[in-house]
Amino acid sequence: MTKEISFKSPGFSQRIKSMLGVDFYRLFHTPMFYIFLAIAAIIPAMIIGTGGMKNAQTGEISPQLYTNVWHIIAATKPLYVVSDISQYANMNMVFIFGGIMVSVFVGHDYKSGYVKQLFTTHSKKQDYMISKTVTCAFAIVCMCITYLLGAVLAGLLKGLSFEVNYASLFLAILGKMAMSLGWASLYTFLNVIFRKYFGISIASSFFLGTGILIIGAASIMGNSSSLNIFLYGSSVYACLSSSVQTLVTCIGCSMLWTFIYNVAGSVILSKSDVY
Amino acid sequence: MNAIEIRNLKKNFGIKRALSDLDLTVPEGSIYGLIGENGCGKTTTEKIICGLLGADGGSVKLFGKSHTDEETRAKIGALIEAPGCFPNLSVWNNMMIQADNLGIENAEEEVVKILKTVRMEGAAGNKYKNCSLGMKQRIGIAMALLGNPELLILDEPLNGLDADGMRIMREILTDLTQKGECSVLISSHILGELEKIATHYGIMRNGKIIREMTARELEENCRTYVAVRAGDMSQTKTLLELRYMHTDESEDGYLRVYDAFSPEDVVSYLYKNGITVTEIKSDKIGLEEYYIDLMSEVSK
Repeated sequence: MTKEISFKSPGFSQRIKSMLGVDFYRLFHTPMFYIFLAIAAIIPAMIIGTGGMKNAQTGEISPQLYTNVWHIIAATKPLYVVSDISQYANMNMVFIFGGIMVSVFVGHDYKSGYVKQLFTTHSKKQDYMISKTVTCAFAIVCMCITYLLGAVLAGLLKGLSFEVNYASLFLAILGKMAMSLGWASLYTFLNVIFRKYFGISIASSFFLGTGILIIGAASIMGNSSSLNIFLYGSSVYACLSSSVQTLVTCIGCSMLWTFIYNVAGSVILSKSDVY
Repeated sequence: MNAIEIRNLKKNFGIKRALSDLDLTVPEGSIYGLIGENGCGKTTTEKIICGLLGADGGSVKLFGKSHTDEETRAKIGALIEAPGCFPNLSVWNNMMIQADNLGIENAEEEVVKILKTVRMEGAAGNKYKNCSLGMKQRIGIAMALLGNPELLILDEPLNGLDADGMRIMREILTDLTQKGECSVLISSHILGELEKIATHYGIMRNGKIIREMTARELEENCRTYVAVRAGDMSQTKTLLELRYMHTDESEDGYLRVYDAFSPEDVVSYLYKNGITVTEIKSDKIGLEEYYIDLMSEVSK
C-alpha cells in the first residue's frame, strides 16, 4: 500500500476552545456544581441566621458572630494568625468547598476513563491543565457570588449592619475572585498528582484549602506580609481595608501559582503514566 | 510503511515486568489480531501506543514517526478497556464531547453517521449509564471511529457484543481496511470471530510476542484432519493409531486423524477392519486450537 498519509494538528486556540467548550458543558450538566453553589449560599446564611437565636430548652441566646454583614465576606484586617473565628470564617471558606468540588470534577475524568479518550488523541497535557484550571476557577467564582448573595440575603433578614467602605469591599471581593484561579490550579494539580487515589486528592485539597499551613507559619513568623506570596496569604490580604495594591497582589499571586502549578502538572502528566 | 512498528519495548510496574523486548509490526491496511492469555501485556502494549503509559525502553513508531508525535496521534481512534463516557450524559452528548475534543467541524453530521454505522441511532438520547454492556461496547467503537482514524486500536471490542453486534463489527472493520483507509490493532479472546477478520496475528506470552504471522501463514500452519465417529470408538481408536502417526480425540467426541490422504482412505481402511463409520468430516485446525497447541508447546 502506498497511500500518502498527511496529518494536521489543530492549533492551540482551536484545541483550548474545544476543550473549554467540553469542560464548561460538563460543568453546567453536573448536578454537583449546583449543589456546591447552594452550599456556598447556605453556609453564610446559616452562620448569620443561627447567631443570636434562643435555645428553646435552656433559654440561652447563642452569640451573634457578626453584627456587620460584610464581616462574613472578608476580615477587617489581614490577620493570618487565627485568634478569632469570625476573622477566619469568611469568603475564604469557599476555597475549601471549591477544593472538594474541583476534586470531584477532575477526579471524575479519571474515574470514568474520559482521560483515555482525551490523551489518546491530540490533546496536550498543558491544554488539560489550563482547561481544568479555567473551568474550575469559574466554578469557584460562581460559588463566591452565591456566597455573597446568601450572606446579603441573610443579613437583610437578620437586620445586620451594611456599613462599609464600598470601594474596599469591592476590591476585596474582586481580590478573592482573582484568587480563585490560583486555588483552582492548586486543586487541579493535586488531582493530577493523586489521580489514582480519589480520597487522598479530596483530603489534600481540603487540608490545603483550610490554609492551615500558612496559619501555622504565621503563628511562628507573626503577621508578616511576606505570607502574601502564598495563596492563602493573599486570600486573607483581600480584606475590608483593601486597596488597588491588594487587588494587584492577589492577581499577581494567583497568576504566579497558576503558572507554577500548570507547568508542574503538565510535566507530571507528560512524564508519568496517565491512566 | 508500517502503521505500527514496535521494537524492544519494555515496561515494568514496580518489580513486575509487564513487557520485555516486545517486537510487533502492524502493516498498513491490515487487521492485526493480538492474542494472548490474561495479563500477558496486550492492554499495556495498546496503552503505550496510545500514549497513556510511558515505556521503560524500546521504540514505538506510528506511520514511521514516534508515537509521541502529536500530529500522528491525532489520527488514532482507540477503545481501551471501556469507553470513557460520562454516565449521566446521553449517548449523543458523550459522542459530541468526543467530536469536540477531536476538533471535528461538522460534528453533528459526523456523529449521526457514526451512530448509524454502529446501529445506535435509536439510542442516541439514552443516558450512557442506562445502556446495556453490548450498547456501551458499540458506543466505544463509535467513539473510536469518530474523526476517520487512520489507525484503530481496539482492546477486547467484541466483549459483550451480541451476534448482530459482532457481524456489524466485522463489516465495519473489513470495510475500513479494504478501502485502505485504516489499519487496525485488535486484541480479543474471541478467537473464532477474530479469525474471520484478521489479516495478521501476533501471539503474546509473558510480555513478548512469541509468534507473528499472516492469516495465510496461519492457514498453512494449521493441519488438516479427518474426524471420524463410528460404532465401536475404542476399537476404531486402536485401529487408527496402528495405521496413522497422528491421531487424537477431540472434545466433541470425534476421533481425529491428521495427515490422512483423504476421508475415503480412512473409511475404506476402517471398513476393511469391520468398523462401520457413522460420521466423517474433513476440516482444518482453527486459530483457537492453533493457539492452544502453541501455548502448551511453549509451556513444556
